[in-house]
Amino acid sequence: MNGAEELKQSLPSSVISTGMQINKPLAVIKKEDILPVASKVKEMDFDQLSVITGIDYQDRFEVIYNFFSYRKKENLVLKVILDHDSPAVDSLTSLWKGADWLERETYDLVGIKFTGHPNLTRILLPEGWQGHPLRKDYDMDTEQFVTIGEDGEDIVSTDGSKLLRRK
Amino acid sequence: MDPVTIDTTKFKPVRRKPETALEKLEDTGLISTVLAARERKGLILLTTIDQVFNWARLSSLWPVTSGLACCAIEMMATAMAHHDIARFGMEIFRASPRQADLMFVAGTVTKRMAPRVKKLYEMMPDPKWVISVGSCANTGGPYHESYAVLKGVDNIIPVDVYIPGCPPRPEAWLYGIIQLREKIKNEGYGAKWGLNK
Amino acid sequence: METDEFILNMGPVHPSTHGVLRFKLRMDGEIIKDCQVVLGYLHRGTEKLAEMKTYLQFIPYTDRLDYISAMPNNYAYVKAVEELAGTEVPLRAEYIRVLAMELNRIVNHLVFMGSLLLDLGASTMIMYGFREREKALQLFEMLCGARMTFSYFRIGGVREDLPEGFIPKLNEFMNDMEKRITDYEDLINGNEIFLMRMKNIGVISAEEAINYGMTGPSLRGSGVNYDIRKMEPYSIYPDLDFKACVYPECDSYARYMVRVDEMRESLHILRQIVDTIPESNVIATQKYGVAPMTGMPYTAQTYFPRIFTPPAGEVYSRIEAPKGELGFYVVSDGTTKPYRVKIRSPSFCNLTAIPKMVVGLKIPDLIAAFGTIDVVLGDVDR
Repeated sequence: MNGAEELKQSLPSSVISTGMQINKPLAVIKKEDILPVASKVKEMDFDQLSVITGIDYQDRFEVIYNFFSYRKKENLVLKVILDHDSPAVDSLTSLWKGADWLERETYDLVGIKFTGHPNLTRILLPEGWQGHPLRKDYDMDTEQFVTIGEDGEDIVSTDGSKLLRRK
Repeated sequence: MDPVTIDTTKFKPVRRKPETALEKLEDTGLISTVLAARERKGLILLTTIDQVFNWARLSSLWPVTSGLACCAIEMMATAMAHHDIARFGMEIFRASPRQADLMFVAGTVTKRMAPRVKKLYEMMPDPKWVISVGSCANTGGPYHESYAVLKGVDNIIPVDVYIPGCPPRPEAWLYGIIQLREKIKNEGYGAKWGLNK
Repeated sequence: METDEFILNMGPVHPSTHGVLRFKLRMDGEIIKDCQVVLGYLHRGTEKLAEMKTYLQFIPYTDRLDYISAMPNNYAYVKAVEELAGTEVPLRAEYIRVLAMELNRIVNHLVFMGSLLLDLGASTMIMYGFREREKALQLFEMLCGARMTFSYFRIGGVREDLPEGFIPKLNEFMNDMEKRITDYEDLINGNEIFLMRMKNIGVISAEEAINYGMTGPSLRGSGVNYDIRKMEPYSIYPDLDFKACVYPECDSYARYMVRVDEMRESLHILRQIVDTIPESNVIATQKYGVAPMTGMPYTAQTYFPRIFTPPAGEVYSRIEAPKGELGFYVVSDGTTKPYRVKIRSPSFCNLTAIPKMVVGLKIPDLIAAFGTIDVVLGDVDR
C-alpha cells in the first residue's frame, strides 16, 4: 500500500481524494489540515521535500508538494487547492528547513501567502516590484526599472529616465 | 545527390611581394597615415604623437571582471592557455574598476543588475571602452520578451564593439578585440581628454 | 576597548562569488555572526517564457540554466515531457545521451576544481582544467556543433547520430584524462595549505543536510548515500556498473573528494558505453521504417509529430545532474505550449544551507565552503 493510501487510512478527514500522478501516489488535502498531514508524512519517513510548485488556474490556485523517502525509496505528492481571491496556506518551515526559500519563491512569483513563515519577502525580484509575474493576468506591457537608492537598496518604478541613456 | 567536398588544403592565401616602388611605399603604412592625417585635418607631428598614444593604449588594455552569465565562461576560456588573450596585452583582469580601462559586458543584464553595471562603468577612469559580448548584452537575446531583462546594455552605457553569438566562440572574441584595436588606432586628439564619449 | 558589530557587503560584482551573488555579513571583527544571501541579480524569467514557447522551442532555454554542464539540463526537461507523452526512445539514442551526460559531468568537475582553487589562491589548476576542457569541448563540437549551449536533445531521441571518427577521439581523450586525474590528485590532495583551508570547514551534518534539501555531491560528502542514478534509475543506468562516491566526514574536503572520485567513475562509465554501444542497426530504421515523402530512413530520433500536443496532466521527473537533483515539474493542458514549467534547481536548494555552515568562520573560510557547494548563478536565479 503506497503512501497516499496510508495517509487516507490514518487521517481520513483531511484527505479529499487519492490517485496516481504518472507513477507517483497523489493525495489531495484540505488546506486547513496541511500541517498535521505534513507531520504525519514526516513520521512516515518521507524526509526529503523536493519541490513546492504554485500554479495559477483561472478559478483557483494549487500548491503541490513532492516528497521522497530515502529509506523506503518511495515518492509522495500532496496537492492543496486554494481559492482565487486571497490564496493562503500554512507554512512548512517548522518541519523542513528547505521549505524556507521554496515558499519565498512561490510567494514572489505566484503570489501565494504562507502563514507562519519567518521572513516572507521577495527573493528573486527586488522589493517593491508590482505584481506577481507567473499569474496569468500579469501585465507584461509596462516595464519596471530598478535604480539604487541612497542606502544601497533597490527602488523600483516604471519611470526609467534616470537610468536610460535615450528614450 | 552526392555530397560536395571541398579540399581546403589546395587553397593557400599568398601575400604578393611588393615589386614596384609605389607598392613598397604603400606597404610601409606611411601613405595611409598621411591620408588619414589629412582627412582629420591635423598636423602630421600631432598625428604621430596620437599614433604613439594610441599604440600605448591599445597594447595594454586591462579588462575589469564583469562577467554576468554564460558568456563569462567563454571569457575565462578565452583568457586561458588555448586561446590566449594575454598576447593582446590583457594579461590581468583587474577586480577593481578604478584600475581598468576596458569592460566586457558578458551575459544577460537584468533590470536588477542594470544600475550596478552603470555604476561600474562610471567608476572607470577615462579613457575607457566597452565591448558588449553575446546576444543578451547586445539586444536582450533569447530573453527579449522577458519581464526582467534589459533589452541591450547600450540602453545604459555607450558601447564601442558588439560581438554577436550565444555564446561567441573564443575566435569571435579575438576578432572583436582586434576590431577594438583598429578603432583605437583611428582615434584622434579628443580621446586624450575623453571628449569623444 | 569596545568594538561594535558592522555589516559587510560582498557585493554582486566580486571575483569569488561565481557570478552575481551578494552576501550581507554581520561581522564582529573577523568572525561572521550572521550571513544573509541576496539573490535575483540574474533572474531572467525562464518559467514565464516557457508558457509562451512550444515544447520544442523551450529546449535552448534549458541549456542556459546550468551553463557549465548543459546536456543534463536538456535531458531533465526532455525526460519529463517524454514521461508525460509516453514517447519511446530508441536504445542507441539512450546510449548517446548517457555518453554526452557523463562527458559533461567530467567537464563540470574540472571547472569546479579550477575555480575552487583559483578562489583559494592557486592559479595552476584552472589552467590545467580549462586545457582539458578544451579537448572535451572539441569532442562536443564534433557531436553537435556548439561548445557550450548544445540543444542536442530532442523529445524522442537526439538530433544526430555520432559522427565518424568520434569514438577513436573519445578513446584518446579518456586515456589522457586517466593520467591527468592522477596528476591533479598528486598536486593538490596532500598539499598542506589546501588541507588546512579545507578540513573541518563548512561542516553540516547528514540530518541537517537532508532537512535543508541538499542533494548531489554536497550531500554525499556528508555520508548520505543518495544518488538518483542508483535510487530511481533512469535511461540505461541499471545496465551500467559504477558506484556512488560517499565520504563520511561532513566538511569541505569530503565534498571535494567526492567530485574527484566521480570524475573517475564517469570515465569508467564512458568506457563501458563505448564497449557496448549497440551498432547502427538499432537506430529507428528497422523499427520505425522509412519516411514516406523522401524515402530516407529515420535517424536516431523517432518519428516525432510536427505538431506535438501531449495529453493533459502533470509530471515531476528528476535526474542526477553534476550539481545535485535537477527536476522539472511540467503541467500540460493539451495544447502545443506548456501551461506551467517549474524548475527545481540543485544550486538554489544547496545554497539554503550556506548561512548555517558559515556562522563562526572567517571570510576566507566562507569562500572555501561556498566553493565546494558548487553554485552556478544561472541555476539559482533562473
